[in-house]
Amino acid sequence: MPCKLWPPVNKEEYKGVWVYLEHDGTKLKDVALELLGKARDLAAKRGNAPVGGVLVAGTDEMAQEAIYHGADKVVVIVNPELKVYTPYEYANAIAKVVAKYKPEIFLIGGTKRGREIAAFIANTLATGITADCTALEIDPKTGDLLQIRPTFGGTQMATIKTPQRRPQMASVRPGVFPKPPRDVNRKGEIIHESVELNGRRTVFLGAEKRIERDIADLPPVESADVVVAGGRGLGSAEGFKLLVELAKLLNGTVAASLMAVRAGWAPHTRQVGQTGKTIRPKLYIAVGISGAVQHMMGIQESKYIVAINSDPNAPIVQNADYAIVGDYKQIVPLLIEEIKKAKGIK
Amino acid sequence: MKFVVLTKAAVPLSTAIRIDPKTGTLVREGVPLSTNQWDRDAVEFALKLRDRYGGEVIAISMAPPSGIPALESLIGMGVDKAILATDRVFAGADTWATSYVLAKTIEKYVPDYTLILAGEETIDSTTAHVGAQVASHLNIPYVYYVYDAEIQGNKIRVKRFLEDEGVDEYYEMELPALISVAKGTQMPREVSLSRKLNAREKIMQATNKELGLDPECVGLKGSPTFVATQTGATFPPRKRKIYQGDPRESVKALVEELKKEGLL
Ligand SMILES: Cc1cc2nc3c(=O)[nH]c(=O)nc-3n(C[C@H](O)[C@H](O)[C@H](O)COP(=O)(O)OP(=O)(O)OC[C@H]3O[C@@H](n4cnc5c(N)ncnc54)[C@H](O)[C@@H]3O)c2cc1C
Repeated sequence: MPCKLWPPVNKEEYKGVWVYLEHDGTKLKDVALELLGKARDLAAKRGNAPVGGVLVAGTDEMAQEAIYHGADKVVVIVNPELKVYTPYEYANAIAKVVAKYKPEIFLIGGTKRGREIAAFIANTLATGITADCTALEIDPKTGDLLQIRPTFGGTQMATIKTPQRRPQMASVRPGVFPKPPRDVNRKGEIIHESVELNGRRTVFLGAEKRIERDIADLPPVESADVVVAGGRGLGSAEGFKLLVELAKLLNGTVAASLMAVRAGWAPHTRQVGQTGKTIRPKLYIAVGISGAVQHMMGIQESKYIVAINSDPNAPIVQNADYAIVGDYKQIVPLLIEEIKKAKGIK
Repeated sequence: MKFVVLTKAAVPLSTAIRIDPKTGTLVREGVPLSTNQWDRDAVEFALKLRDRYGGEVIAISMAPPSGIPALESLIGMGVDKAILATDRVFAGADTWATSYVLAKTIEKYVPDYTLILAGEETIDSTTAHVGAQVASHLNIPYVYYVYDAEIQGNKIRVKRFLEDEGVDEYYEMELPALISVAKGTQMPREVSLSRKLNAREKIMQATNKELGLDPECVGLKGSPTFVATQTGATFPPRKRKIYQGDPRESVKALVEELKKEGLL
């Protein structure tokens, strides 16, 4: 006898893979598109099941964009009470739409807001949820979703299942899955739903952009092909100047380990790793970074990893394609010099 | 006013972990546990609210009896009392079943709570689920990542920071409500030995006999999710070409490789 608090579910009724389409007021967030790509992939393995999206207070252009990126159907919640994000009200409204359309799988981007509402939605639907999955697969035997995530500080990988309940829910951090191609020939359906709110309990009072001093005017870490990252081994904020120079030379950007961010040498927006950003550049150069598992979690999708570290036994040296053992203060200037030569720059 | 803080007696990351081969969940019994680091921020936040508005701070935890020392330390920080929900049937719980027990413990022992506070996430599981799930079980509004709050009558105004968007946001909620406290924002106070004196008397243990929850809704049985397999993390294989010795030779060799791979 399962828990009586869980209403019985008839698994047959649940079809398709749906995605919460988070947006910033003007366009869909990248993570929503990334999840649509993954949703198509999972739906294909579930007998070409439909892919859906839930959009709150978004425009039809956004819904159309979701269709171009893989959605077959997008439900736009149009209640004017939900114009501005508040967690309790959004989570309740999204749960109502999901309960109505009954997807087999429901995915949410692991942004700060996404993480805030995901578990509440799951509870409202009396189902389970797995946070921050780094891989999602279909169990070929049972057809269940395999929710794969790092756990215990990133030292373990767990495969989690929700065999009895539907939908099966997971959150995924931005950058974990690639963005699918945009296909303007894709067709889909846009549905408007005005969801009833059972009263308002949270009021949004206002917002302010915080201005954080960045180390350089360089692109964000998630969009660059080349990322030069610094860790505690740099010893000071000064060290980052060398990295910025190297990054510029390679048309790339700079990132940092948690320790370098803690030290105040780089803003948190440049942190990569389990609690920072997940990136997938062509080339990742780790300077003065030990390569703790939590750090590796965010960079393992890099095509090539280069490590510069004074300790031949640092884990990053063992987990890199190319490693130079030595003091970065000596190595990086030489590297800059050699790359300039190779590129024919004086 | 009653400030309830959800605190997890977590397995410190330095401990060698053991996985129950049958359930795939972490073995917490017989392991020295300590309060999840980020919950200390929530405890500190609650103590500041109590110092400002009066009332009491009650820490609530679900753990095996090995979670008691963690609660003693919280008493040492200044928490007025603690409740440990502890029973073998609670073992193996996922976040749904954990938050269910916590919510029911609050309903039974602190029905007149003003505010529930949670840490941002735990160091060992990092899901950030339990706060929102307790709010859901109790059907109260909630806001995450809070670093400042002010109570006026039956309302609370909170300030929070969204790291990924770089914005501060301000919300007002009806009380009772739940907040998660942004990690690293509160400078938790020291544990004082004099406050810790007689800590045991301030810790109440509640088993499922007292809580009276359906055994099918708690622990592993009451968990919609379960761990199918758990293995050590592995990473994709790498070339592992290591250059040591003369720095200029190493750099030259690396640049040659990068050129060959079309990276320059
Ligand atoms: C739940 C959790 C989540 C976490 N999330 C993240 C995350 O998202 N991102 C992250 O990065 N970490 C994360 N961590 C922290 C992680 O465990 C490590 O503590 C951190 O990555 C270490 O940072 P580091 O490599 O810069 O510093 P250290 O570990 O101190 O390494 C410094 C390295 O620099 C080398 N070095 C020293 N001097 C020089 C020199 N002159 N030249 C060259 N090399 C030198 C040393 O040999 C050493 O290898 C997390 C931890 C936990 C528990």
